[in-house]
Amino acid sequence: MPVTLLDRLPLPNLKVYSAGSVLLLSVAMYYAVNVTSDPNWKANTTLQKQETASGIVEGEAAKMVQPAVTAVIAEPPMTDTKNFSDQFLEVMTFMMQEPLCMWTLINMAYCSLALFGFFIQKVVFGRLRVSEAQRVKDKFWNYLFYKFIFVFGVLNVQYMDEVLLWCSWFTLVGFLHLLGQLCKDRFDYLASSPTSARWANTRVLCLLMGILTAASALFMVAIVWGLPAGKDTFAFMAAECLLLGVSALHVLARFTLRAHDADAAGPAAYYTHLVFDAVSLVTETIHVAHMVVYSNVVVSMASLVLLMQLRHLLYAMLARLRRHRLYTALSSHMSRNYPMASAEEVLKHEDNCAICWEPMKEARKLPCSHLFHNSCLCRWVQQDASCPTCRRSLTAGGEARPAEPPLTGPNHLFHFDGSRYVSWLPSFSVEVTRRAGVDLGPGLAAATATAAAARPAPDAAAESTALVEQVQRLFPQYPRALLVTDLAVTRSAHLTIDNILEGRLPPPPPLRPAVAPAPAAPDAGADSPPLSDELDEDDSAENAFSATAAEREAALQRRKAELRAAARARFLRRRPAPAPAPAERSPRS
Amino acid sequence: MMAGSALRRLMAEYKQLTVNPPEGIIAGPVNEENFFEWEALITGPEGTCFEGGIFPAKLVFPPDYPLSPPKMQFICEMFHPNIYADGRVCISILHAPGDDPMGYESSAERWSPVQSVEKILLSVVSMLAEPNDESGANVDAAKMWREDREQFNKIAERLVRKTLGLPPPE
Repeated sequence: MPVTLLDRLPLPNLKVYSAGSVLLLSVAMYYAVNVTSDPNWKANTTLQKQETASGIVEGEAAKMVQPAVTAVIAEPPMTDTKNFSDQFLEVMTFMMQEPLCMWTLINMAYCSLALFGFFIQKVVFGRLRVSEAQRVKDKFWNYLFYKFIFVFGVLNVQYMDEVLLWCSWFTLVGFLHLLGQLCKDRFDYLASSPTSARWANTRVLCLLMGILTAASALFMVAIVWGLPAGKDTFAFMAAECLLLGVSALHVLARFTLRAHDADAAGPAAYYTHLVFDAVSLVTETIHVAHMVVYSNVVVSMASLVLLMQLRHLLYAMLARLRRHRLYTALSSHMSRNYPMASAEEVLKHEDNCAICWEPMKEARKLPCSHLFHNSCLCRWVQQDASCPTCRRSLTAGGEARPAEPPLTGPNHLFHFDGSRYVSWLPSFSVEVTRRAGVDLGPGLAAATATAAAARPAPDAAAESTALVEQVQRLFPQYPRALLVTDLAVTRSAHLTIDNILEGRLPPPPPLRPAVAPAPAAPDAGADSPPLSDELDEDDSAENAFSATAAEREAALQRRKAELRAAARARFLRRRPAPAPAPAERSPRS
Repeated sequence: MMAGSALRRLMAEYKQLTVNPPEGIIAGPVNEENFFEWEALITGPEGTCFEGGIFPAKLVFPPDYPLSPPKMQFICEMFHPNIYADGRVCISILHAPGDDPMGYESSAERWSPVQSVEKILLSVVSMLAEPNDESGANVDAAKMWREDREQFNKIAERLVRKTLGLPPPE
């Protein structure tokens, strides 16, 4: 549930907030020191202290001793004869009892946590990317919302000190969750960036280790303090720790998988993800279900929200299960019907995988003899059961059903433009796309029947004739025999056209009769390397691809400006003056 | 994981388009913070009414690119039978295999991962040169293209001048 509305609240930035907090703290300290400098202050203040309250608050206080100490040092030296530490203790005791001072201390604790988070962000991540910042913001508000529901709707806490305890717990857990989210996003980014930044990886890894350690520390806290408070409390706390640990471990596992260069759709990677997804989904579902049971399901806003969340989780689980079924069905289908290409075949192929444009160490071979990475092919076939290069249908009745019937349902678009009504209302649009699943049913059923059977010869002949005609329509000057030979290799009109366009196919005899008849052996066409277009490249230095993003962006801007300027100059040269014919007025909109 | 392979492929395509650019075409991410949004400049094909114009367009890639096609939208004023009034381009190569808004394309013409930004842009150039009468994204433009070519050419000339930052002909 993204809370867009909250984005528009005027929240103070960190600088203002921390300055304000420090100011507040100093004022409170000053007040406390003033009051406690009177030796009889204990008698003066009305002591409505409950032993439990101060005991609980101590936990909170432990965290704030640090900032408090610095603030005390900043204070002018006391003229009192009293020992400094005694004085400090007294000040603290007073502040614990005085509600206003205590709130100031709590505020300061949050402020220092925010500063700490900011520090970690600066050290580990540097500047956040836009999407990362957005994701963290969303997660933060979501988290706040659900924990608010939890504390006031589920636990239904009555006492201020209990609220404070839960708040500090969730603050810490949430803080770690946000850091974990950042790690995950940053890992995705690092994994996909073309340059491997070892140092950035190490920092993220260190932070992940830190998160894991903190999660186990929190688990200890849950055992020490949660367990005596009751099994339910302990279960709630433990589930939070578990979720935190699992998400951190998942990112770590992905680091490991990538370090070992694992195939992204291979079984090892797939089952690792499956295990992590399953554990976190099941834990979260149980956690929420526990909350529902604990809150005694009375009809209230809280239980409604929880049930919605539970529904969402169940759907996520079902979707995951369906994906798993699809995966197993697909992988068995592929391994049964499309064998892995032999080593020589892969070597001879020498092109990159046409889907991801990366070199192939091993490949799967389709009946049309096009090669792809196993994982790439897997992902494509989930979407459309045809060969990406030549479009031959991969479902068994390929020729029987020439065009895949479009199975997509209608798309619904709902747009809400809030700013039309009130300026601060958010605008959003929801698009529901129903995408047809893989058409595996008939494919799988018939697959076994046709697995061994070779492609019927007449079909193949008809198909290749059609391809030749398709190419010849575009390039009538090319001799038919040449096209047939090239198509026999490429088996795709697209590829042959590419070959012609990029000069890999020997040019046809010019129509003038004086020149040599046919081009060389037609065989040379497909295999000959691309003509050396490096020589034609007049300014290759100009077109260099820089290593850094900033340089590339600048180069792109420059090239665009040059293209525009050149086009303009060319246009003006061709039509020197704006056409002076007064009769012709072009329509203006 | 998805976005990772998409990014790697986009980076490879960007590199290819930079090192070995097709004539009159420039494309790349404006801001590499968001690698999934590119801007392209297309030169109007010679010998057509769009000759000489530099037409800017925006390409937005899905996270599962190249399994799904990008969306392309001209960000300058356009008047063409196959370009919607808001600049979106209607060519079959940009349609995912599943969806067929017009209901007549054969799946062979539609998106497949072997297509690329370069091929899309080249198709758009040839679309500018030879509008496809059958898919009427802009009905007015299609009608004018068929019936009043002179007027169509005039409008095109004005658009070309506009993209070059020149005043419309007097």
